[in-house]
Amino acid sequence: MILFRTLKVLRIPLLFVLLLTIILSGCTSNLSNKTKEDKILTVSWPKDIGPLNPHQYTPNEFFAQGTYYEPLIDYGPNGKLIPKLAESWNVSEDGKVYTFHLRKNVKFTDGSNFDASVVQKNFQTILANRDLHSWLGLISEINKTEVVDAHTFKVTLKNRYYPALQEFAVVRPLRFLGSAGFSDDGNTAKGIKKPITTGPWVLSEYKKNEKAVFTRNENYWGTKPKIKKLIVKVIPDGEARVLALQKGDIDLIFGEGVISLDSFVALKDSGKFKTAVSDPLASRALIVNTSKGPFADLDVRIALQHAVNKKALVDGVTNGIEKQADSIISKNFPYANVNLKPYDYNLEKAKALLDKAGWKLPAGKTIREKNGKPLEIELVYMGSDQIEKPMSAAIQSDLKQIGVSLKTTGLEREIRNKRMETADFDLLFWNSYGAPYDPHSFISTNFAPGYGIFESQQGIPMKNELHQQMKDVLLTDNETDRQKLYTSIFTTLHNQASYLPISYLTNIAVYPDYVKGWGFPAHRDETPFAIIDVQK
Amino acid sequence: MKLFVYVWKRLAMMVPVILGTTFVAFLLLRLTPVDPARAYLSVSNIIPTEETINLVRHQLGLDQPFWLQYVHWLWQLCHLNFGISFISKIPVSQELVVRLPVTATLAVLSLIIAILVSIPLGIASALHKNKFIDHCCRLLAFLGASLPQFLLAYLLIYFVSVKFDLFPLQGTETWQHFVLPSITLALGLIATYSRLLRNGLLESLEEPFVLYAKARGLGTVALMGRHVLRHAIRPVVTAAGMNLGKLFAGTVIVEQIFAMPGIGGYFLEAVYHRDYPVIQSFVLIMAIVFVLGNLIADVVQAYLDPRLTQQGTRKQVE
Repeated sequence: MILFRTLKVLRIPLLFVLLLTIILSGCTSNLSNKTKEDKILTVSWPKDIGPLNPHQYTPNEFFAQGTYYEPLIDYGPNGKLIPKLAESWNVSEDGKVYTFHLRKNVKFTDGSNFDASVVQKNFQTILANRDLHSWLGLISEINKTEVVDAHTFKVTLKNRYYPALQEFAVVRPLRFLGSAGFSDDGNTAKGIKKPITTGPWVLSEYKKNEKAVFTRNENYWGTKPKIKKLIVKVIPDGEARVLALQKGDIDLIFGEGVISLDSFVALKDSGKFKTAVSDPLASRALIVNTSKGPFADLDVRIALQHAVNKKALVDGVTNGIEKQADSIISKNFPYANVNLKPYDYNLEKAKALLDKAGWKLPAGKTIREKNGKPLEIELVYMGSDQIEKPMSAAIQSDLKQIGVSLKTTGLEREIRNKRMETADFDLLFWNSYGAPYDPHSFISTNFAPGYGIFESQQGIPMKNELHQQMKDVLLTDNETDRQKLYTSIFTTLHNQASYLPISYLTNIAVYPDYVKGWGFPAHRDETPFAIIDVQK
Repeated sequence: MKLFVYVWKRLAMMVPVILGTTFVAFLLLRLTPVDPARAYLSVSNIIPTEETINLVRHQLGLDQPFWLQYVHWLWQLCHLNFGISFISKIPVSQELVVRLPVTATLAVLSLIIAILVSIPLGIASALHKNKFIDHCCRLLAFLGASLPQFLLAYLLIYFVSVKFDLFPLQGTETWQHFVLPSITLALGLIATYSRLLRNGLLESLEEPFVLYAKARGLGTVALMGRHVLRHAIRPVVTAAGMNLGKLFAGTVIVEQIFAMPGIGGYFLEAVYHRDYPVIQSFVLIMAIVFVLGNLIADVVQAYLDPRLTQQGTRKQVE
């Protein structure tokens, strides 16, 4: 009787549950997005690929531009330059004229020829928007471009600029759009008509903010990709990306910071997926402001180097996925293999250096003082960064052990950038540009005012000589002089402790067994989709 | 007729409210510490020197007086032009046309689910006050109110999508793609609405008209359906009206997790980059949705209780 009465009362909720069950039963697994087909690779990316304009920035994604378009020269392991759309090149004796011998029989995806005139057309629109690309040294240095013949193209620089060849390999803006893709006025800054490429993929389907489908370019001039189709799904959330991989909706997680490092370890430990970590691609460091405050004193800067337990930071915060850094640029970068004695983690040394600098620990107090002023410093980091925040907390704890009070300030990106540009910090979390931009782009940001790094180095006694060497190294014409200058620059920065290198950033990859032939590109913004296979 | 006049009056009142909101938003945006010209340069990898900042400020129209910028923006709006994004250089309306329907579908579906589930739960709880069913509903309400949306979303994805493969995980391709995100958004509302309704019903059941109705021999279903529910559901209607706007504005986490290209993610990006045209458009849309949500709730209230549209209601009733 009681049961009957309960059922009577519950008839409306029960009806609803029944309705829901009917709906659920209609949802069979054929609605699942599981990737079942052979030779199709489904990956995810946090953002939409953008309009695939090879010469523009946001909302164009590096990842998509790097996958889709090709450069004249490619960047290989250890900075080796590899012919791509240019099969060879010559540099004039004065280092100002670069002559590229273009690959023959290369066609764009619309069937048109890749030749010197289309290269010229691309350079014209890039140079018409020089200001937009002024961050890239090469663009500012180009004086003129010339079509010598159908397959020979010449670029003349205003001054000698040794990193030019390396910069021809960057993802944007120096990649090539087919003529029919240009807008009517030829200015790609205002947009493109169609993404026409010489590359291994053709954009065959696109749903903005949801997915992009790339089909293998059957007329590709080089080695054709092993997979027939590449599907890029937009999944903004890292954890959701992990769940999509576990469900089988995507076949690969690849990139820098695309999932939390905890998730990476969990996927690795699950035994269901293969995982890989790349060689160092860029540096994570603290910029030490030598121009003011306690860090104007070299002893305090060196004390900092000895006080931070980098191994604990790398192991604890990044689960060992990032590599510990003892020099500001990793040794696998060109000219960066310099022998520098690392600062060891040694709290006693750090304390002794602070004592020497006059920062004494008064009896009964925990913070050192000098002339009655406590040793308080500020570390600025990007508030939303999942690595910088815990690392800041760990550094705070490290410095407390030597009697230094560290205030950690997490800021929103634009405010952090403003603080950096005005050198309004004691310590600031910073990443280098990475391959293929370093070490020369790193050098440029050090001697050029405006970024905040030059400003933060004003406390280095030999700053003028250092910045002159940085300018000179870009103009060198032989390897010996260049290496000599780089060695001197890296040694001065190391000895002056104007950076605290913490770790080297790496790319990660997680994929099931059926993804074959995995390999990381040496270039930070390139993708390996053209070389891998899917055998389900 | 009275309802019609009431709606017209309320619609007319929308104009100053929306104008006021957009003006305050316009003003506040310009008081924030970061210059959008600087943010634009930073995104474009251009060193922000005084020259480049001034150039970009001029290009973006930020060098004009504040009032002129506001009037210009209003004039553009009159032509249904929401402006062009500072960062992507794509007209804001182009993005809104694609993104707004996703968020709207999600918000409305969540509201419908919440109401459809809350009504039977509220009734069952009220009819079985402090009994097993009421305790179960209370537990559900407690869970719904205390579970953070992101955690619920991950739990639903893990169990319903990954483990049992009942619904797709991410995207907007079919109606099934909207089920899990809508449930995620609805659960918190169900917690509130079912408890509001339960309390409303319990209070109404004590009213003299219930006694008269029972004396007239009305059965439980007729009594609840025709009299008590109509009276008790009013707080739920008010809450739903308020929540419509909140749902539009608060879908960002759910949109991100379920990879749905709604307006939440677009607005978040715009805030990071100080993309004024996008932020202003978002504020405008939110103002309209909030005001409309409240208007709809008030109209439904007026329909449920016609005394609300009359002047001096209390006196007449007394």
